[in-house]
Amino acid sequence: MSRAQLLLAFALLLGASPARAQPTEDAVKAAFLPRFARYVAWPAPALPTAGAPFQLCLIGRDPFGRLLDQAAASELIDGHSVAVRRIPSAGQAAGCHLAFVHGAAPTDTARLLLALRAQPVLTVTDGRAGPQRGMIHFTIVGGRVRFFIDEAAAAERGLSISSRLLALAAGVRQRR
Amino acid sequence: MRRLARLPERWSNAPYAIVAMVALLLLAGIGIILQNEAAYRDFQAQETRVQADILSASVAAALDFGDRQAAQDAVDVIRVNRQVRAVGVYDEEGALIAGHGRDGAGPPPRFVEPLPPAGTAVTAIVPVTSRGERVGTVYLAADPEPLSRRLTRYLVIGLLVVMAALVVVVLGIGQSALRRANRELEERAGALVRANAELKVQVAERTKAEDQLRQAHKMQALGQLTGGIAHDFNNLLTVIQGSADMLRRPALAEDKRIRYAEAVVQASARAAALTGQLLAFARRQPLRPEIIELNELIRGMTDLLDRTLGERIEVKTILSDKTCAVEADRAQLESALLNIAVNARDAMPEGGVLTIRTATFEEGHAGRMIALSVSDSGFGMDEDTLGRAFEPFFTTKATGKGTGLGLSQVYGFASQSGGDVRIDSTPGEGTTVTLLLPCSGLAGRPREAADELAGPESRRSGRILLVEDNEEVGEFAETLLGELGHKVTRVRSGEAALRAALDDGFDAVFTDVVMPGMSGLELAEQLAQIRPQLPVILTTGYSDEIARTGAGGRPVILKPYRLETLAAAIDQELGRSDQ
Repeated sequence: MSRAQLLLAFALLLGASPARAQPTEDAVKAAFLPRFARYVAWPAPALPTAGAPFQLCLIGRDPFGRLLDQAAASELIDGHSVAVRRIPSAGQAAGCHLAFVHGAAPTDTARLLLALRAQPVLTVTDGRAGPQRGMIHFTIVGGRVRFFIDEAAAAERGLSISSRLLALAAGVRQRR
Repeated sequence: MRRLARLPERWSNAPYAIVAMVALLLLAGIGIILQNEAAYRDFQAQETRVQADILSASVAAALDFGDRQAAQDAVDVIRVNRQVRAVGVYDEEGALIAGHGRDGAGPPPRFVEPLPPAGTAVTAIVPVTSRGERVGTVYLAADPEPLSRRLTRYLVIGLLVVMAALVVVVLGIGQSALRRANRELEERAGALVRANAELKVQVAERTKAEDQLRQAHKMQALGQLTGGIAHDFNNLLTVIQGSADMLRRPALAEDKRIRYAEAVVQASARAAALTGQLLAFARRQPLRPEIIELNELIRGMTDLLDRTLGERIEVKTILSDKTCAVEADRAQLESALLNIAVNARDAMPEGGVLTIRTATFEEGHAGRMIALSVSDSGFGMDEDTLGRAFEPFFTTKATGKGTGLGLSQVYGFASQSGGDVRIDSTPGEGTTVTLLLPCSGLAGRPREAADELAGPESRRSGRILLVEDNEEVGEFAETLLGELGHKVTRVRSGEAALRAALDDGFDAVFTDVVMPGMSGLELAEQLAQIRPQLPVILTTGYSDEIARTGAGGRPVILKPYRLETLAAAIDQELGRSDQ
């Protein structure tokens, strides 16, 4: 699925009726996830070596399935492809650059996030999984998929988020 | 001058140079403006492109995440620039995501290359890339700077160029005017030089002509003079010669002899009068100046004038009582007055009034003078006649009526007496002749009783020393003196006379004045030293010396002299030496 198709889907989503919104919301989020990598700068040691892909890890539940695989396959960031890893716990998160954390319960999500605190991983959470927020937190505003950005938390891990992305966020917790 | 002439040559190409310079200036100005315009367009294209670049960078994320709102926000930022006419942000498929259009213009609804031209606008089309991947396109169309503002900017340049051109033109005009003035000046100088040369030639010609004219006049006057003299003298000589011829005839009756002798005497007297007038005109007649009361003289002459002028003419005298005495030759003065009066009479053939006036007259440095004016009411003189009135033998009268010597005598007499004569005349109104004579410091004395010829019975006889260089005159005088009963010793020079006077006791000396060597006057001076009592009688036809220095109180007998005159003079001197 090309980006154009994704965007088309996104456009359809904006004008779509609530009945068709549910599956398409996942499609939008799946399209967004690998794309975040474009606007984030990792510390040099954490960057993938030449030829190695960016690793997008799904920790916990997987709401996207094939949608995410398709989105990741079309993404190419500075010559690096994006590989999707699905792992059950934070213990296996070594080497991940982005992590979509979705616990079975909000407490699970909180725990997983806590476990990832020591690593330079861009954490992404979804409002549907609970109030716990990663560095990027999906939400729905006015029927549109939006996201909050916790720049302070990202900075603590040595991650730098592009101002262009910050400009698109529905809200930003700025670093001090 | 030569420099002045070369100047225009050097500047003759100036008008072309000026036109070329002005054209060059204008071209340079247009060039600068065009270059400026091109630079400005380049700059604007670059600026538009930079803006498009900025927009492309700022909408990359919005396109990535399909955020129309964010894209529109970025577009709205660009809108602040008033020059931007249309902005469009297109996605990968060419669909318009966000856009803005000013004044009805808008971005094309879809991005399809190539885009239609946007009129005068400067457009920039920039791809939007995100991490090396093209995610969309930004289209930006900007209006160029308004024409008025650009014109204002170029107006400064244009103004400078126009001013420079104006300066060049003004300089050119000034230079051209200067050149024209120079040329004019040169022409005028040339004309002046030519005129000057012409004038010089004319002056030379005129001088030459005047010289010739003067010479001609002189020759004419001389011819008239000599002709006149010859004519008059021939007449008189005819009478004398004829009478002498008749006298030589034997057995001539006594009465005829007397008549012919009388004719000779009269003709000679007229000839003497003629030479006297000639000398008077030449101012060389021997004058015998005496103190004369002019009023008295005029009164004494009125009878004579009445007789001479005839009954038709009334003589009026207006005599000033403030007149002074003058020192002049009485006979000459009377003659002058008579000459003027006769002219006046001839100017009044129908009769009229002759007015004789005396008045004192002062003019300039000439001192006090007395003016004797004679006015007539006759026909006057025209300009030409007036100019020639004093010329000897010039006359307007019929042949035989006038000698042409009257006014000449008046003129000569006045000049010789230190005075002047003036004529004022208006044709048809009459003539006034004014004789000016200087006043004498001496008082006038009544005229002495005429010591005219004494009777022959009272004559004394004595020994006379006759000094005469001319053989004929000497012989004649010796005969005359012998006839008068004197013993005559004749010598032919002053030196001989001195020697003779030392030896013998003479009663009187009768000497000619003009002689080679010692003159009669010098002889008289020397005799006065050695023989102071010896009376000396001088005789001359004309003498510069006497006219200049006078005779020193000695009697002067003028040639030609009459027997009676000679007898009386010698008798008087002999009588004086007897006393």
